[in-house]
Amino acid sequence: MVFIFSFLKKYRVAAIAALVMMLIELAVELSQPLLISKIIDQGIREQKSSVVWLWGGVLVGSAVVAFIAGVLSSFFASHASQGFAFDLRDKLYEKVQSFSYEVFNRFAASSLITRLTGDVSQLQDTIFMSLRFMTRVPLVVVGSVIMALVVHVKLGLVLTLTLPVLTIFLYVVMKKASSLFRKVQIRLDGVNGVIQENLTGIRLIRVFVRMNHEIGRFAAFSGDLMKVTVSALRLTETTMPFILLIVNAGILAVLWFGRIEISTGDATLGQTVAVINYSLRTIGALSALSWIVVTFSRARASSQRIVEVMSAHEETEDLANADTMTNSQSIQGGVKFEGISFRYPGSNIPVLEDISFEAKPGERIAIMGATGSGKSSLVGLIPRLYQETEGIIRIDGVESAKLEISKLRGAIGYVPQEVLLFTGSVRENIAWGNEHATLQQIEQAAAAAQIHATITSLPGGYDTMLGQRGVNLSGGQKQRLTIARALVRKPAILILDDSTSALDAVTEGLLLAALKEISCTTFLITQKISSTASADLILLLDEGRLIGRGTHEELLASSQLYRKINESQVGGMVQHVQSIS
Amino acid sequence: MFKALVEPFRHPKPVIELGAGRSLGSVTGRKPKAKAKDWAGTLKQLWRYLAKRKARLSLVLLMVVLSSALALLGPYMIGKAVDVYLEGTGGQSWGIFLLSLALVYIFFSLTSWLQNIWMIEIAQETIFRMRTDLFSYLHRLPISFFNKRQQGEIMSRLTNDIENVSSTLNSSAIQIFSSILTLLGTVGVMLWLSPLLTLLTFIVVPLMAIGMRWITRRTGPLFKERQRNMGELNGYIEETLSGQRIIKAFSQEERVINGFRERNTRIMLSGYWAQSISGFIPKLMNGLNNLSFAIVAGVGGLLAINGSITVGVIIVFVEYTRQFTRPLNDLANQWNTLLSAIAGAERVFEVLDEETEAKDEGAAISLDKVEGAVRFAGVSFSYDGGANTLQDISFEAKPGEMIALVGPTGAGKTTLIGLLSRFYDPNGGSITLDGKDLTSIRRESLRSQMAFVLQDLFLFKGSIRDNIRYGRLDASDEEVEQAAILANAHSFIMRMPDGYERMLSADGSGISQGQKQLLAIARAILANPSMLVLDEATSSIDTVTEIKIQEGLQALMKGRTSFVIAHRLNTIRSADRILVLEGGRLLQQGNHEELLRQGGLYSDLVQGKRREAAEVEA
Repeated sequence: MVFIFSFLKKYRVAAIAALVMMLIELAVELSQPLLISKIIDQGIREQKSSVVWLWGGVLVGSAVVAFIAGVLSSFFASHASQGFAFDLRDKLYEKVQSFSYEVFNRFAASSLITRLTGDVSQLQDTIFMSLRFMTRVPLVVVGSVIMALVVHVKLGLVLTLTLPVLTIFLYVVMKKASSLFRKVQIRLDGVNGVIQENLTGIRLIRVFVRMNHEIGRFAAFSGDLMKVTVSALRLTETTMPFILLIVNAGILAVLWFGRIEISTGDATLGQTVAVINYSLRTIGALSALSWIVVTFSRARASSQRIVEVMSAHEETEDLANADTMTNSQSIQGGVKFEGISFRYPGSNIPVLEDISFEAKPGERIAIMGATGSGKSSLVGLIPRLYQETEGIIRIDGVESAKLEISKLRGAIGYVPQEVLLFTGSVRENIAWGNEHATLQQIEQAAAAAQIHATITSLPGGYDTMLGQRGVNLSGGQKQRLTIARALVRKPAILILDDSTSALDAVTEGLLLAALKEISCTTFLITQKISSTASADLILLLDEGRLIGRGTHEELLASSQLYRKINESQVGGMVQHVQSIS
Repeated sequence: MFKALVEPFRHPKPVIELGAGRSLGSVTGRKPKAKAKDWAGTLKQLWRYLAKRKARLSLVLLMVVLSSALALLGPYMIGKAVDVYLEGTGGQSWGIFLLSLALVYIFFSLTSWLQNIWMIEIAQETIFRMRTDLFSYLHRLPISFFNKRQQGEIMSRLTNDIENVSSTLNSSAIQIFSSILTLLGTVGVMLWLSPLLTLLTFIVVPLMAIGMRWITRRTGPLFKERQRNMGELNGYIEETLSGQRIIKAFSQEERVINGFRERNTRIMLSGYWAQSISGFIPKLMNGLNNLSFAIVAGVGGLLAINGSITVGVIIVFVEYTRQFTRPLNDLANQWNTLLSAIAGAERVFEVLDEETEAKDEGAAISLDKVEGAVRFAGVSFSYDGGANTLQDISFEAKPGEMIALVGPTGAGKTTLIGLLSRFYDPNGGSITLDGKDLTSIRRESLRSQMAFVLQDLFLFKGSIRDNIRYGRLDASDEEVEQAAILANAHSFIMRMPDGYERMLSADGSGISQGQKQLLAIARAILANPSMLVLDEATSSIDTVTEIKIQEGLQALMKGRTSFVIAHRLNTIRSADRILVLEGGRLLQQGNHEELLRQGGLYSDLVQGKRREAAEVEA
């Protein structure tokens, strides 16, 4: 909470101004019972209408002052809270972007979205309200008691006596309530989780006829939620009647002592009335309490979720001893793995074990293996999305850890397994790989990726919009777009992570042939023999280990598994492709 | 310092159109443009839920009436005390008076406590019932309902909308009712005590109406603008977070941060104006409160001097005007909550009004054990009466045969499977299982005979073991592991930390697509069905893994009628019959050799000539 509120510092002037405006309003309100006591004692009882006019006028004037102060406070509080939210969101997003890919993956994307939007908004509302209402509650209570004492010490003391009782009671209730509301939130998350699962898995649930099982599970979660909610709300709803009881008892006492004091002449009627009025105001202020408790416990939960992100470790990408000498040369594309092992952080299971191979600039390396054998992890190490656990990766002979990360990544064109395009035009999506690319370069990249003809046949050509409101391309077309995006960077190293899976044999053959001409070191994860046949080196992975390496012919001779794969894919396809390339 | 003070007033104001916003109806007396379309119907349905606790509810209402009356009585008695006992000297029964005032206070606390406690119980029970009703209803809706809607949209009906109704039922409902009662009561007593002073205090009402109108005309469009900006930012975050891998690999962090900042600034601006202006509402209320206080004190004082009212009446009026503007304030605050709650309830009931999967006919039969002879005779089907997705499909599957479905995306393969599992019923023609018409068989009974490995792979939050066991809930641990071994999932499971007890998250992170498929296959194996449906079951599994699980799949399919949809044609070469579909029509059927000899779409597909063409068509 403290850390989060440090974001408010920049807006302290506006925040303080908002509070000052609120204090002005408060002063006006607290002066009202005092003024009415003057009207009663000096005006009505003395039969002087001029006094009534005077104080009545003061009351009207102060009402106007309070209103202006209130309107100004709205602007100040809004400026402070919106500015706070802007900064917080900005910092949070920057922080998320600074995460290494490893750290990023620790958070579910959906949870990061709620943190960036819902949680920040929750805090912003809390601050806005704090600056305008919440801080008011204790001030009204304390102010009323002080004013009551000022008006008449003895009668005021009666009201003062209720304070410790109220404070202790409220402290206990608030503490209990905030823990109960946390429980409510947890249960609610549980209920929502079941709903989400059921919506996603609705077909599966139908076909396995598990409807009643799911409904039962849901009813259990939902019943739990109901029980906790009822007990939490019961507690907060008991607060108000109890407070009323205590303060009203105070009012009775004020009436009782007031009559005695008036009869002895120690107090006036106006003073007694004023003290009663102050007691009533205390009640009014306290009625907002249960709402405040709820708001604050929510704000606390939100700030915890935000702090979690803020305190996650940043990417230590660039090593201090980055070798500036080599950094000035451009990367040629030589990649060498020396005894690389890799484990995901916090896991004991080796994903890769003792992998060594060398790719000379311009060579094509095909990587094959079963699901989960470590293919994607292997290529993910090259742009340093992950950090190897053991061994050394050399780029052009230089330890890649010593290279400036932006330079390293700038030389790599990466096409991930899942197709990711952004909202925008076709041209923008390709140029995403290189902001400074000219139209000609974009078209060249598209042509090499075998997508140029398709794009020109689209209604808007290169300016056709993609994404939710735009044209829907087929899986294969999207894949080729992402390849064009990587090629427009003129990369020294090109990584294709199973990104030709949706292409037919002919197109794939053309693509591979075009890539040969671009002469970059190409890593090609594939399941198709048709793609491996033309590789300079094939790496066959199994459960993180390199179980075979060599060219197509070499592996056919040496690896039984490779032969099996080859057999399963024989037929028209292979010959077809081979005749092209 | 000064600069910081004027800073808030320098924000450029977004251009908005006046009058497009929603007014705070009741206060201004203008009819609100409610979000809900059918108030009466929605309230009636809501009442049906509440009516289950009619006795309790009438007790709550009684308590509300009592507490409102007591709330009026309290200040009135204080006024009396001032007039009779404090100012005057008379009144022998001071003790009895104080005792009765004490009783009024005690009963006031008691009645307001009881009404809240009881209402919470009623409200939460109602919400619980609505929630579970809605949830079980979802499971009776036809699958086409889910095809038509975004998941997030249904999700928000079950969560946000219900939460809205819940918080309103908890407090706002009572509060609105008691506000109205207090308002009427206060005005009544005030008129009775001093009509002149009452009319003067009412000066604030038109002021309030004008002020509220001024404010809400501006805030409505501003909030809409803010909402729009928020949606845009949401979309941007979603896109850049799911594209994080690419952003990192292309080192484009700087660029997306700038894009984010741009959108963030827009939100701040519209948010600033919306919040500032809507912040006037409580200040306006407060200001008018103060004004009426001044009127009562000033005018009341003058009236008291000429003797037309007593000091006690002023005291009563001071408290009453506060009691009178507070409910107005509450109403204004609660109004929006109430509107959104009613709109929320309407959205909930909208789902409950959807037509369910047609009920099984009364005479529908349950199946014991089926042979698995399936026959499609001239089957046609269209979604929502549009163009036919399937047209005149006829084929036969003998018990134990493997039927493969082949064809480009959109050819109707998945729809055909949907008909077989009665997600939909055909518009024309008939489907029979062991000679019995499918529509005469109970849905659940039919589906229990089949096991599915579906296109949308899905795992529940829970352990790997529980996820496999979903295929047959009473399976033992050994049976679960046996199924995993057959599906070739055992070895990767054992390599995970915690093995079978490994917890999977709902979004299935930490496990690859292919591994998910293996688990889904294990689940189907465990179900031990008479019929099997594999929809793209092996599409995400690479060739190597596929070689490894083929054996398991073959074992699974043996003796069971199986329907297999696969894009990779080498996996279905051994099928007894291959159905080649395109554009909803059955073009060819036969086994691999027969079809190759025939030429046409199948042999084109096998030779890789047609894949891309087919995709474009889809």
